[in-house]
Amino acid sequence: MPQQPSVFMIGWEYPPHNSGGLGVACQGMTEALASAGHHINFTLPYQFAGSVGHMSVHASPDPTVRKSQAQSPPWNAYSASSSIQQVSLRAAFVSGVDTLPQADLEHHVESYAQRVQKIAHSQSFDVIHAHDWLSFPAAMAVHADTGKPLVTHIHSTEYDRIPGGNGSSYIMQAEQRGMQAATHVIAVSEYTRQILIKQYGINPTKISVVHNGIAPHSTQVAQAQFAGRKPMVAFMGRITGQKGVHQFLEVAKRVTTILPEALFVIAGNGDLYHNVLLHNAAAGLSAHVLFAGFVRDRQKQQLLSRADVFIMPSLSEPFGLVALEAAQHNTPVIISKNSGVAEVLPSATQLDYWDTDKMSEAVLSLLKDREAAQLQIASQQRDLSHVTWQNSIEKLGSVYKRALLGTHG
Amino acid sequence: MAKVCWYFHLHQPFRLAAQDVFSLGKNHEYFSADNAVIFQKVVKKSYLPMLTLLLELCQAHPQFVCALSLTGVFLEQASEYAPEVLVLLQQLVATGQVELLAETYHHTLASLYSTQEFNVQVHHHLQLLDQLFAYTPTVFRNTELIYQNEIGSMVAQLGFIGLLTEAVPRYLDGREKTRLYRSVGDEALPLLLKQAELSDDIAFRFSDKQWSQYPLTAQTYLEWLDNYRDDELINLFMDFETFGEHQWADTGIFSFFQSLNEMLIANKAAQLVTPSMVLTPLTKKQRCDLPVYDVPEPISWADVDRDITAWIENSMQQDALKQLYALEKIITTLPRSSSAKGSVTAKHIELLSLWRNLQTSDHFYYMCTKWAADGDVHAYFSPYQDPYEAYRNFCIALRDLSDRVKQ
Repeated sequence: MPQQPSVFMIGWEYPPHNSGGLGVACQGMTEALASAGHHINFTLPYQFAGSVGHMSVHASPDPTVRKSQAQSPPWNAYSASSSIQQVSLRAAFVSGVDTLPQADLEHHVESYAQRVQKIAHSQSFDVIHAHDWLSFPAAMAVHADTGKPLVTHIHSTEYDRIPGGNGSSYIMQAEQRGMQAATHVIAVSEYTRQILIKQYGINPTKISVVHNGIAPHSTQVAQAQFAGRKPMVAFMGRITGQKGVHQFLEVAKRVTTILPEALFVIAGNGDLYHNVLLHNAAAGLSAHVLFAGFVRDRQKQQLLSRADVFIMPSLSEPFGLVALEAAQHNTPVIISKNSGVAEVLPSATQLDYWDTDKMSEAVLSLLKDREAAQLQIASQQRDLSHVTWQNSIEKLGSVYKRALLGTHG
Repeated sequence: MAKVCWYFHLHQPFRLAAQDVFSLGKNHEYFSADNAVIFQKVVKKSYLPMLTLLLELCQAHPQFVCALSLTGVFLEQASEYAPEVLVLLQQLVATGQVELLAETYHHTLASLYSTQEFNVQVHHHLQLLDQLFAYTPTVFRNTELIYQNEIGSMVAQLGFIGLLTEAVPRYLDGREKTRLYRSVGDEALPLLLKQAELSDDIAFRFSDKQWSQYPLTAQTYLEWLDNYRDDELINLFMDFETFGEHQWADTGIFSFFQSLNEMLIANKAAQLVTPSMVLTPLTKKQRCDLPVYDVPEPISWADVDRDITAWIENSMQQDALKQLYALEKIITTLPRSSSAKGSVTAKHIELLSLWRNLQTSDHFYYMCTKWAADGDVHAYFSPYQDPYEAYRNFCIALRDLSDRVKQ
């Protein structure tokens, strides 16, 4: 095996202290990279409690932050569970710069950049790989110090998180600067690549698409039996405007009018949670749509496998790993056309997120026509066979090579 | 001095356990094991000392009388968790100086949702009082003293001679609250109205150090009572748990109550009465001649506005109640469909009991999102971190029951 480029990777979260897609993606990606022979230094902005054998983790908690808080990411960018730190990031993502404690945000990001710079001094590597805007200032500093090629990886943009382009201009600028400084940019999907081109004005030739892979799931998961044989439709994700949870309620209303025994389950938490509960009640859905709270591990698998249909009606979804997980659990998936995962899961039912009429028809036909549902499940499984981290890091390897060539002129 | 009528309300709900979507359909337990712990805590702080004090007053003074309302769900928990409370209550009733009032067994809002269900629940409560105390009440108090004109008709049709409710200024229209009124319509049901200021002086303000009258002595309170004319009736209605639980023993609430009653009894001009003592002597003509208390929209004794928004205001409360009562038709007609003989099956009894325990008004009170002056009171009583969790949790139990009923 030829010598593979050594990677200095700047992260923000990693399992078990992850709140969503970014941590999971970093795990799958680094494991596959390590198997392919890449040496990886991986930095984290908090005390890392896990144990990792495939790479060197450089946990670097903010010395000014209290110990208990330094055990997890300063803000969980992709979650909305109830800790105080997460509230501040949620505020950041939702309210923009007007109300957010921006000084805090900048402090954390800048302080991380300085710590990462120091770590980089004592390591040797060929390429810098940074995940999402929170790590970009650190990446740019190391890039400036070392002159090594910089690959910035976009898993999610402010434009997705705050629909309508009303997100934080501070964050959007951080995203844009990181991409401009980069030798090469990776988008998690062609859908995201188009956003980077149209909304951020990034040169299209500089952006490559590397879809996430998914780890094959163990078949040991006990078949979850709950709620009898009632037809069940599930939503799983942050309860925010981005995720289309109100569209899910509209579908629930239409479907249960025709099929009153159908049960809709919403798993997740987020800034629209209370609003959605009130809306759910006002729509008369109290006994039709139940809220499971934030689920993980076994319960997450139980819900994905028990559901008869899974819907991801996001207004804008850079990737959408959870749709792949639902497909893995042999559940037919309905996804928004505005999603990256649609590119790797073509067998999923793909609809406009706003077209709740069609979405309701699709749910009803999947619930009633079990043969059609079985066909979709089988096709989804065929799609999944291509969605491996092995395939992803082959593309990633080419990006590294291209970046290395780019800097060498 | 006016007549004084004491009435105390004893109630503990079956609070829900934490519900779990993943347990749906597994006949899991709806109600919390904490109920026993909470009940026993209140037994120690309030039920035992206050019931003992009432018994001592009854035994020492034949003139001492009071009225109690005991919800069915309170009595069930007393039987199970603190039989000594039941024994004390039986001793009290046996003195003949304590009047028991009728109400809905499960402390529900059925009066606003279903006359048929309301009648059934009142009947169940009557049966329970007969069984435990060999007692038949003649006067009615609705859950949280909720009242409107239609409820007056419903209660009159059940044969009760009167009803207790709140004096709400917007319907009293400047008239005194210290006299008898009657319902609108031909039934002319006599109504006893709560004297809110004097009742709340004890129930809410007694231990408030910011209150200008703190610390309140029995002597001062007696002077306030003495301001009323002989033909007036002062209705002092409050939660029984005021004594020892809302107002702890160290506030002096027990000795205040004891001294006040001893002074009242010693005062020849004063007279303690119960609702039926006031209402039984009334002739039909006297009843019809009473001034009318016209209440077109529901009132209650709760919160600043004395309306029903503590239980039915936001969409969560409205829909939870609507969906729960939507089960009535199917759940009450189950035996005919599930059993050829038409007998009530054990499963049906269990489902009805679950359904009625879910109707207890406290579940909807916990979902209240009013956070002005009333928010503190709501938070004090709620086992949930917030009203949204109360709704989320309730809906899972509601769905589970709904699925079982429709099986």
